[in-house]
Amino acid sequence: MSSPAPIVVDRPEQDESVSPDTPWIVLVWNDPINLMSYVTFVFQKLFGYSLEKATELMMDVHEKGRAVVSNGTREKAELDVFRLHEHGLWATMQRDDS
Amino acid sequence: MSSASMSTDCGRRCSATIRDGLFVMARRQRPPVEREGSQFRINIGRDERELIRRLMAEMRGLLTESTDDDGRMKRIFPAAYHQEVDREFNAEYQRLMREEILTSRLKGLDAVDSFMAQASGDRAMLTESQMMAFLQALNGVRLVLGTMLDITEDHDIAGVDENDPLVGEYNLYDFLSWILDWAVRAVQDA
Repeated sequence: MSSPAPIVVDRPEQDESVSPDTPWIVLVWNDPINLMSYVTFVFQKLFGYSLEKATELMMDVHEKGRAVVSNGTREKAELDVFRLHEHGLWATMQRDDS
Repeated sequence: MSSASMSTDCGRRCSATIRDGLFVMARRQRPPVEREGSQFRINIGRDERELIRRLMAEMRGLLTESTDDDGRMKRIFPAAYHQEVDREFNAEYQRLMREEILTSRLKGLDAVDSFMAQASGDRAMLTESQMMAFLQALNGVRLVLGTMLDITEDHDIAGVDENDPLVGEYNLYDFLSWILDWAVRAVQDA
């Protein structure tokens, strides 16, 4: 699997001040450098996921190109993204529009 | 992601000469990283430790001297928001968090350099927090090296021409992947 660059999607302008509680999701993207074992380990360490859950998420990233690994307020999501970046994972965040 | 298939049978790949023929991994009787109670034992000799210390120093130089637009560092300082609508949030994140990531990375490099310098004989003993620093530092170097080599998911050292001018760097990349994979297993071996 090659590594898709995060897709930039054009969306209508949204005014976050209208709904400050809008939930955000944190995505981890597949990349060709990080080891599968290392990614699984980082999910366990940062989010306290079981080995099974962390492995499942890692396989989602690997096979589908990305996976949602956490969610919450913008502040919480940004902190999660930062911790993932600190560990070298390719993580970004967006509003949860599901 | 890559699966580090070399981890189970390092074999010929790890006996490959790394960088100018100065560094040769010997055949190993035991894994390069093992858990010992609450500590971790890194079974590497002086030459390998010196190699890792050199890499930490090179990484420190890159981290402190690179500019914001240095393509080699794009995986170290990635974007946090991928949607165009959030570009201002992303600019703010870069402004505030780049320094935090830099500080965190440098602290980790110093920790690794310190325990590698203090080790003697054919092993280094690490505490859990030192081990975490080791994992992140190894992975950080792999991210930069892998970006510079434009590593793809189907990367296989066997496919690299032995006359390729970057063959030493490819071997180094695989060496780091191999140690990191064993280190992760040791940590998960609770």
